Amino acid sequence: MSMFRSKKLDLGGFVNIKVIRDHTKRKVFAEHEPERQALRYIIRNLTLSARTRAQAQLQLTKMHCYTRSTQIRNRCVEGGKGRGVLRDFKMSRYNFRVHALEGSIPGVKKASW
Amino acid sequence: MSVPRSRILDLLKVQCRIFNHTFNPERLRTGNKILRQRLKGPALAAYYPQKMATIPDLQRAYAAEGLETINEPEDDRREHIRILKARGKGAPKKQRTPNESKKKKR
Repeated sequence: MSMFRSKKLDLGGFVNIKVIRDHTKRKVFAEHEPERQALRYIIRNLTLSARTRAQAQLQLTKMHCYTRSTQIRNRCVEGGKGRGVLRDFKMSRYNFRVHALEGSIPGVKKASW
Repeated sequence: MSVPRSRILDLLKVQCRIFNHTFNPERLRTGNKILRQRLKGPALAAYYPQKMATIPDLQRAYAAEGLETINEPEDDRREHIRILKARGKGAPKKQRTPNESKKKKR
């Protein structure tokens, strides 16, 4: 949602709307994570009253969807692609191949035997 | 010889006090699992590369001290536009009012 988006672009490298959106979700999640964890603790704590726990459940479900970690998806930092992204290199498979063949990724070499 | 339950509970209580455990004989879920989890927000938020300083930023920073920075691509662009305009092939001027643009069309 645009209300969470930073007014000035704070990303370097490849940028498109999907990357900006995912970056915004990450920042919003980081900001609200303590609150979410506190609510989750209340919900899981059986020593508290049922009423408190139910209220905490309601509060947690009412939070904005951008504060959820499940909204975050790893995207390619080179091309913004959402599928086939290698987690270790933060790159889509094709961009990874291009960079690996170029030799710009340390320690990566085409196998040959 | 059987030991009464209350006696065992007392022993458990003392044991918990000594070893700094939580005394929870009913084994209720206290949600401490969640408090033990580390916050992963900062690591997730640092996924994409941050914005770095650009040549215009440098120019702005050093302009106050009277230093000049060369921005070659920008200079090349300006030069190209200057040549185009000298030949009369530059981009047209922007229309000020909507009426003006309508008149031009006819």
